[in-house]
Amino acid sequence: MNRAALLWRVASFAVAAGFIALWQLIANLKLVSPVFLPGPDRAWASLVRGFSSGDLWSKLAGTLEHMAYGWLAASIAGIAIGAIIGSSRTMRTYVAPSLEFLRPLPVSAIIPVAIAMLGLTQAMALFVIAFGAIWPIMLATVHGFGAVEPRLYEVARSLQMSRLAVIFKIALPSASPDILAGMRLSLTVALILSVVCEILAGLDGLGHWVLLSARAFRSADLFAGVILLGITGYVTSVAMSLAEHKLLAWQAAQR
Amino acid sequence: MASAAKRLEAVPGIPAPQIAFDGVTLVLGGKTIIENLSLGVRPGEFLCIVGASGCGKTTALRLAAGLYQPTSGKVNFDGQPMRAPRREIAIVFQDYGKALLPWRTAAGNVSLALEAGGMPSAERPARIEELLRTVGLPGHAGKYPSEMSGGMQQRLQIARCLAQEPKTLLMDEPFGALDAMTRQGLQDEVLSLVAASGATVIFVTHDLDEAIYLGDRVIGLLPHPGRIGIELSVNLPRPRDQLSTREHPEFLRLRRQLFDFVKATEQ
Amino acid sequence: MTANSAKALVLPLAVLAAFEVWARATHLQSDSLAPPSEIVMALFGAFADLSILAATRDTLFSTFAGLAIGTIIGLALGIAFGIFDTLNRLMEVTVEAIRPIPSIALLPIALIALGFGYRMEIVIVAFACVWPVLILSRAAVRSIEPRLMEVARALRLPPAQRVWKIIVPAALPRIFVAFRLSAGIALIVAVTVEIAINPLGLGAGIMLAQQALRPDLMLAYLVWIGAIGYALNVLLVVAQNRLFGRAALSGDGA
Repeated sequence: MNRAALLWRVASFAVAAGFIALWQLIANLKLVSPVFLPGPDRAWASLVRGFSSGDLWSKLAGTLEHMAYGWLAASIAGIAIGAIIGSSRTMRTYVAPSLEFLRPLPVSAIIPVAIAMLGLTQAMALFVIAFGAIWPIMLATVHGFGAVEPRLYEVARSLQMSRLAVIFKIALPSASPDILAGMRLSLTVALILSVVCEILAGLDGLGHWVLLSARAFRSADLFAGVILLGITGYVTSVAMSLAEHKLLAWQAAQR
Repeated sequence: MASAAKRLEAVPGIPAPQIAFDGVTLVLGGKTIIENLSLGVRPGEFLCIVGASGCGKTTALRLAAGLYQPTSGKVNFDGQPMRAPRREIAIVFQDYGKALLPWRTAAGNVSLALEAGGMPSAERPARIEELLRTVGLPGHAGKYPSEMSGGMQQRLQIARCLAQEPKTLLMDEPFGALDAMTRQGLQDEVLSLVAASGATVIFVTHDLDEAIYLGDRVIGLLPHPGRIGIELSVNLPRPRDQLSTREHPEFLRLRRQLFDFVKATEQ
Repeated sequence: MTANSAKALVLPLAVLAAFEVWARATHLQSDSLAPPSEIVMALFGAFADLSILAATRDTLFSTFAGLAIGTIIGLALGIAFGIFDTLNRLMEVTVEAIRPIPSIALLPIALIALGFGYRMEIVIVAFACVWPVLILSRAAVRSIEPRLMEVARALRLPPAQRVWKIIVPAALPRIFVAFRLSAGIALIVAVTVEIAINPLGLGAGIMLAQQALRPDLMLAYLVWIGAIGYALNVLLVVAQNRLFGRAALSGDGA
């Protein structure tokens, strides 16, 4: 079984390699103008050059920094606000509908407002990223807190647990699968908004790098940047999966 | 009719009741669930409550736990009015699957009660191990509830309740969802645990045999609204035995009496 | 129900009223904020000169064109991957390598290849819509009752008919859920592309209002964009309930 899975994996990598070879072939035959489409060889060379000169490192670090700060701020604030709203019936009745109303708002529409308030600055980017990333986390927390098994609250009451202990020992762990799913969604949102803010505000990062490369028709650098963004998306999502897997081991046991 | 609580107090030489219902009425959502219920449970007594479904036996238990407040009347614990749940009163819920923390291991679930009681973390592991051994779960400390059978989960819930070092143990049809063999084993274990700890027990069940087998006294409730319909003292020798106790003439007599009562209420 | 919806309105109305009072009391002069009454006036003005309607048309055109293309591609791939496990396993690495690329990162590529305008926006929207449809329709096809597939085989339906008569109808409720999710994503991506770079539609409108230091108009656009997002969501939820009943909603967790 495991051996078969490994073989499939190898075959799947071979197919992906085939696609890259096809891409190389198209580029070599100049079926698409090299101005738009560099071969994988040129994109790779640009990646290597970018990293050895340290240029791409700093861009990557910039994007990761925007993403991480915005996401962490959103996570902390989202869980805290979500917990306050979710643990009180009154708050749920009065506040939750407004949140549901705001949820389908395309969050990027807040960018001009943030620019008007904070200018084209780092603070603007962090505000936008955090604002965009907070929704999935906050809504998931509200939902998770609302869905705690009532029996557990009775157990907590008969143990005379304090309100704080109830939140940290009962409600938060019970809502953790929802919260982590929300945080995973927010990670994607944070990456996208980081790129958008870098493009708009010219902040140091991969978004700015790919835009400059496009403007200068340096397609190899452009593709290198896009590939790096893809890798960033992939690695952060894998890291999140691992964290979820570890934190929710009890859920795996449940199935 | 004089309340049971007062009757008990009036007799010299018998200790005051640990839990006393005095004219308790509970109205929930415009419906009278329990009406004018008076009842005293002496320290160390094993009281069983039986009755048809919907007679308010679980509600009575929740009143004793302080999870509900009576609409009128009083529930006293050690002479003090019950205004909220307290740690000296532990409750074993029927739906063990919902009452255990699925994200904590067996040890973690027992630990919850110790944490709530303020036991320093250094002392907990030894106590947890001891409690798990007491309920027959040694070696399962690292398992999640979902990895345990129904009987094991209920044992775990009992262990958590024992960790509260309760003066009173409230049990709400604790074995209702278990198979017959597991159920009999647990009945005997509960009896010996209670005998060892000296705790007072209120045990709700719909199984008449179980009520007589376990209890010092059995109360049958009448439904709509819930009130006392029959009260029987169980004078069977302890320790009880699954075979000989159940064949005891007194057991059969009580069983008949209770059976007739339940049958009459169903009409 | 009505009492609860009244309660739901308390907070937003209170916030708006407080804001209005505060703005008037302080004679608010700001590049980023405007009292609700002025926002409403600006919204009316933008309707009167049709500017916001033209922008809405542009944005929705890109949104739906991208959504349609993305859904068709995603659906075709999803159904194919769902039916042919071999294909699915062989493509796994390729799919997992492309999927995590944030759609907006394609913006510069689309820009140099296609220039400003509808086309580049539609391509980016379509790219973003492919993935949810692909993943969910693949899962939907896989979860079809095996008995149904046996029926199809017993009837000797040719593959095309098997897809159209058995697979698509059986998987349709969950595919619609994917479509609904994608529609939300499509609108978000379209507005984002417009805000970031593309000079058309609502996103460009709100950026222009900001640059023209018209906070009232900017916030009017924000409210309008929110209303469109909300309306689109409500419309699709209602359609889903009408078409498939509440059962389909259970597919949300997928």
